[in-house]
Amino acid sequence: MKQSRAEIVAFVGGQILPHEADVRAWLRRSGSYPADIDDIVQETYCRLAALDSIVHIASGRAYFFRTARNIAIEKIRRARIVRIDCVTEIDALNVVDDEPSPERIVAGRRELQRVQHLIEGLPERCRQIFTLRRIHGLSQREVATRLGVTENVVETQSMRGLRLILRALTEASDKDQPPADKSHDLASVRKRDR
Amino acid sequence: MTSLQSAKEIDDEAADWAARVDGRELDADRDVALQNWLAGDPRRAGAFLRAQAAISFLDRGRALASVDQAIESQRPSRRGLLTGVGGALAAGLAGGAVLLTTRPQRLDTRLGEIRRVPLADGSLVAINTTTALDVTMKPKSRQILLRRGEAWFQVAKDAERPFVVSAGLVRVRAVGTAFSVRRDGDGVDVMVTEGVVETWVEGQAGPRQRLAAGNRIQLVGYTAPVVAESPSEIERSLAWRNGEIALDGESLGDAAGQFNRYNSRQIVIDDADLARERFVGLFRTNEPESFAAAVAATIGATVSEDDKIIRLSRDRLS
Repeated sequence: MKQSRAEIVAFVGGQILPHEADVRAWLRRSGSYPADIDDIVQETYCRLAALDSIVHIASGRAYFFRTARNIAIEKIRRARIVRIDCVTEIDALNVVDDEPSPERIVAGRRELQRVQHLIEGLPERCRQIFTLRRIHGLSQREVATRLGVTENVVETQSMRGLRLILRALTEASDKDQPPADKSHDLASVRKRDR
Repeated sequence: MTSLQSAKEIDDEAADWAARVDGRELDADRDVALQNWLAGDPRRAGAFLRAQAAISFLDRGRALASVDQAIESQRPSRRGLLTGVGGALAAGLAGGAVLLTTRPQRLDTRLGEIRRVPLADGSLVAINTTTALDVTMKPKSRQILLRRGEAWFQVAKDAERPFVVSAGLVRVRAVGTAFSVRRDGDGVDVMVTEGVVETWVEGQAGPRQRLAAGNRIQLVGYTAPVVAESPSEIERSLAWRNGEIALDGESLGDAAGQFNRYNSRQIVIDDADLARERFVGLFRTNEPESFAAAVAATIGATVSEDDKIIRLSRDRLS
């Protein structure tokens, strides 16, 4: 039986997408060309989209690295001209850092902060709409009413914002994150007794 | 020509589609225009999944937003907390046809382990830490014996075969629905996330109690009223299915108890006043260190740790 689309989307959003910047960085370090990296990452999502069920995936991060590596190797093998450095490339791809290091675990917890940085980085109008839609959970119609604009305007801005966020997600995750020792300040806060 | 599209161009179009589907609440599977676009290039399905996943990722920010409100107003609203995570918890049915068997299947988890297991009838069970249950699939019934611990069930619809969970003398019966059952000593805690279930206590007279989505019943000594909870509150209690502990104003003492369910490294809070402090945050079940560090940073406590214990004490300087 198939798993629901919503569950697969939630899994990819929570367990795959947050690691995309790391996978891209690793592919860059292994010597892949930027255009190839885009293709490899896209192909990885394609394979996920073709799955009926993701229950067998224990670690999204490890799955992402493994699949990207396999696709990268297939790409090298498919290339018509066999280049002399292929062997080195495959070797480089074998060094897969898919075990979360302590820093990585901290990074995972900073995910929520990252969401806010992503939204804060949007142009003003987009940011407003994303905050109402995603953070406050308003529907598109409610957002339009609240801002006194048509639903079309909200939709256009949502598309624009999502394009920008998808691009931002491909960039190194370290850049938009504060040093580890400050990470707790926003991730959690004391609620005072009332 | 679609073959000339770069991955980035596809990503942009996918973003537009995902935003449209989300904004207009379209049924992606039935939307002809979307399906035509997807059919135009096999790469588009991946890009579309990625764009939808990004929206789901952003929705996780709601937990953080409620924390921000707490900073601003000091009078935070409970509403909306973690509804994004709630969405992320939306579960489905798991795959894999397995032959019907009448022999019980034992499923158990070790300390800190959380498993999702598809059952032979298409139901899905998420099993929390240190839990043991037996699954017996019969032609006319589906029986789960919860020996200890906690599990959440997404039950595949089958009117011919009632799905009954036994926890001690407590029985919970469902046809097609989702609910969790937790045993803790004599107490049994039932929470319903979808549909309706019936509960009763074996050997006790009286009507069976019906619980709808958003209801919770805590049977301690086997009698209790049904309590209505907000769906987001129930989703928060079930954050463990994603390996998370979601705190929304629980005391540090309660929070430590929650982490201690998952880890051999136990959190100990020395000071009774400190244990009563309230806290908000989203953590991984297997990262009590993060929780302790967050408490230290925001409440001004001192953390001292060894292999077995993470000790939180009042910061004497504050």
